[in-house]
Amino acid sequence: MTNQDLLYHYFSNSLTAEQEVVFRKLLETDAEFKAEFEYENNLKKAIKSHESDVMKSKLKGFERNLNAKKLFIFNYKYLAVAATLALLIGWFGYNSIFGTNYSNLYASNFTEYPNTVYTITRSDDSNTIEREAFIAYETRNYQIAIDKFDAIPETSQKSYMSFYKAQAYLGLEDFGNARRLFQQVLDENNEFQGESTWYLALIAIKSKDKDQAITYLEKLISNHFYNKDKAKELLEKLN
Amino acid sequence: MESVQENITVEDLKEGSDLLFKRIYEDNRDKFINFARKYRLSEDDTIDVYQDAYIIFYNNVMQGKVEVFTSSISTYLFSIGKYLIFDKMKKNNKTINPDFDLSLIRERDTLVDASFDLDQDELTTEQVLLKKHFSTLGKKCQELLTLFYYRGYTIKDIILASDYTSENVVKSAKSRCMKTLKERINSNSND
Repeated sequence: MTNQDLLYHYFSNSLTAEQEVVFRKLLETDAEFKAEFEYENNLKKAIKSHESDVMKSKLKGFERNLNAKKLFIFNYKYLAVAATLALLIGWFGYNSIFGTNYSNLYASNFTEYPNTVYTITRSDDSNTIEREAFIAYETRNYQIAIDKFDAIPETSQKSYMSFYKAQAYLGLEDFGNARRLFQQVLDENNEFQGESTWYLALIAIKSKDKDQAITYLEKLISNHFYNKDKAKELLEKLN
Repeated sequence: MESVQENITVEDLKEGSDLLFKRIYEDNRDKFINFARKYRLSEDDTIDVYQDAYIIFYNNVMQGKVEVFTSSISTYLFSIGKYLIFDKMKKNNKTINPDFDLSLIRERDTLVDASFDLDQDELTTEQVLLKKHFSTLGKKCQELLTLFYYRGYTIKDIILASDYTSENVVKSAKSRCMKTLKERINSNSND
């Protein structure tokens, strides 16, 4: 067994008791071995610190989203009061709402939209922020994907980015931000119109907003081809 | 939500799902702020401590320091957080009340898991240099070295977790990455 093998087993936590004895002995007697061990051990600590920084920036992102969500819930409370008043004056159009399992409907229809716009190849060593954003998206590191999309300079922004950022927010179940961005895709008439309408319908279902969901589904069926059949099925279940 | 958390295993967390980490963060955040209130930290300080505790928890899970959860994730987070709060207060010379001896609390055995690594030491100059140049490596090198040194993966584990096809390919890729890192550090020290 070479010294390199011993180091390898040490760092992959796979030293046998016998190898550990040799390892300890070498650390005491072989200066070169000790130097290499210290170098790799320092690298381990450096990588841990790097990973901690990455996690810290994710946590800061969660915190930002949480504050934004609280603001959304605060506004939503006023809407809830208005809706309650509407019910009190005798509007019971929402009767069927209590008979529908909205979470199940959402879960059975939601699938994450694949990356169809940016090709990540193994041989591509270019480290553009967009590439990093899509790598994070594909590996479901949604908070990193959002941070990377945000970091892309305005001059390099592409029309499809809002859609994928909205997808990343959906992945984090941050429906307020996802809805805002899908709506932006529709308002700016960017690509993914049908897709955004579909996801807006799903968000409305998740929020138990039956009327809104129906509006989006009807719009999707009459104007787009994307998920048209699924939209018809969903509409039937809601009606 | 509590029941969701109780069902989460170490293996689930090791898959690194952002959504799962976000849920755990959010589920425990307000409880932690309430818990820390009695120590009269500002909310910003409390959030800082909570995030530091969360990172320590995360590192320990990812580095394989904990194999199974012997308590709920909340208990882990609170236990580490409490340790950090007392540490912070001790450093700031704050007291909770005059009869309270902080040195009693700082003992490691107050933690849920005595094998937990609470290392928050400052990096040495060499480690800072390594970190700086590590972050300039290509994504593939960063991922490979992270799996090996941070996650403690064997070469076989790396093949399973990535698209490398054989042990030799992993070994030579790792050697190339280490060589590039060394070259960058050397060229930095020659500047």
